[in-house]
Amino acid sequence: MSLYEILGTLETGFVFGLVALGAYLTFKILDFPDLTVEGSFPLGAAVCAALIVQGGWNPWAATAMAAVIGFGAGYGTAYLNVRFNILHILAGILMAISLYSINLRIMNGPNEPLLNVTTVFSAFEDLGYPGYMINPVFLGFVVIGVKLALDAFLATGWGMSMRAAGANPAMAEANGINVGNMKLYGVGLANALTALAGALFAQIFGAADAYMGIGVIIVGLASVIVGMSILPSRTIFLATIACILGAVLYRLAVALALNADFLGLRASDVQLVTAVLVALALIAQQSGSSLFKIFKKGRGK
Amino acid sequence: MIELKDIHVTFNKGTPLETRALRGIDLHVPKSQFLTVIGSNGAGKSTALNVMAGIAPVEQGHLRVGQSDMTDWPVHKRAHAISRVFQDPKMGTCEDLTILENFALAYGRTKPRGFRFAVDPAIRASVADRLSVLKLGLEDRLGDKVGLLSGGQRQAVSLLMATTGDTQVLLLDEHTAALDPKTADFVLQITNSIVKELDLTAVMVTHSMAQALHTGDRTIMFHQGRIIFDVAGEQRDTMQVEDLLHLFKREQGEELADDSLLLG
Repeated sequence: MSLYEILGTLETGFVFGLVALGAYLTFKILDFPDLTVEGSFPLGAAVCAALIVQGGWNPWAATAMAAVIGFGAGYGTAYLNVRFNILHILAGILMAISLYSINLRIMNGPNEPLLNVTTVFSAFEDLGYPGYMINPVFLGFVVIGVKLALDAFLATGWGMSMRAAGANPAMAEANGINVGNMKLYGVGLANALTALAGALFAQIFGAADAYMGIGVIIVGLASVIVGMSILPSRTIFLATIACILGAVLYRLAVALALNADFLGLRASDVQLVTAVLVALALIAQQSGSSLFKIFKKGRGK
Repeated sequence: MIELKDIHVTFNKGTPLETRALRGIDLHVPKSQFLTVIGSNGAGKSTALNVMAGIAPVEQGHLRVGQSDMTDWPVHKRAHAISRVFQDPKMGTCEDLTILENFALAYGRTKPRGFRFAVDPAIRASVADRLSVLKLGLEDRLGDKVGLLSGGQRQAVSLLMATTGDTQVLLLDEHTAALDPKTADFVLQITNSIVKELDLTAVMVTHSMAQALHTGDRTIMFHQGRIIFDVAGEQRDTMQVEDLLHLFKREQGEELADDSLLLG
């Protein structure tokens, strides 16, 4: 891999680090498997692109707005679950497919190119370094900043309540925590992060696309699983690092797999590679040992 | 003070599995009274406790705690006045959080939670102070996850957590049943001393007649969804388990057919 490719991998890795932090919040903290992200990732991209191109918004404001709208999508999913007792997975799927139509409306078509417009990355063009070098650095700061903010939030009274609501709802209620509200805000927050990632992703790659959400949930989850199986995550601080690390490693693994000529894979095989990687990570987690050992054991039989 | 007025609870209403768990319960527990509740399986004692806690759906009747009618209050709202220790030691604490973080949650029961950090030096000091009473050395393990503690330790921690802030009513749901006899004794002892020290109104459901008679200052017995007797004062002080059985036979005209009540 060239430096260019490595930096590109870091770039997307950091963006998906945001998705991974969201997945950590829903899957691990709230115990709410949330599939809304399949829709809220392109939603963030669509809102951001439409506001910049059609609305002429400042790109920073458009990106922030994307996160706010993403919060609304997650809130909606949790509301279906909390208020109407719809199974959380189903609520997420319902929200995600409705967002697919909504995104087409927002963009007035299947995609919205972001060419020759000012994006948040335009601000760094004058620094004298090429974008492919400066963008990963910027995104690295963003994801670390979000990680630290999330760590701090989870240590506050509210954040602690959210953790209890996910880990032991009966105890949380008995201690005066409104578990339903915690789900509404937690899932909302996770989708705000995902939409933020979508908005940044669209600005890096110069377009928002209605199909860009496919597999996002798996990428987010894969990052959490890969990260946690590599880095022991006894504290929130370490767990959130593991999420970001997992996202970067995951992108790296996909890039390597696609790059390895002897495997003969094409770019379109990325979803297959993803599925295989996640399955391997899950198998490794199940058996509590490293992949290497499992294969050794398998050979010995 | 806690008061139940003509409480009816029916599970699976309108189905072949319909069970009338409570059939018109009237109960008044004055402030600072420690009430113990016994009854065989399915008698309604746990349902009555769950009505107070807000988990069981009340079909008819009213629940008052202090000045407020709490019949329709959600669990988290009544938690300001009512706290609870569960039967399962795993239920009362959050095992992924540290001891200190668990206490921080419990402090939030009676005080508003905010965006300030949940754990501060004041909370740390007061938690260490309260834990030192247990003499289990837990005050030196504040940063340990609760999942690392034994069942008895966890139950003791739950009990302390349930009695932070200005709790009005403490509900104990067979909170010693899952512990070994020695640990159960220990937990019961600290229960007694905390209830006395904080002058709490307490309701303890238990499976053991002996425990019911020797703890607190009033005992009621549930049978088939009704309170069949209610003893307090001198009559109770001299009472033995056999006297309870006689009383049961006289009231119901049948022998008590649940061994676990006698053996406990």
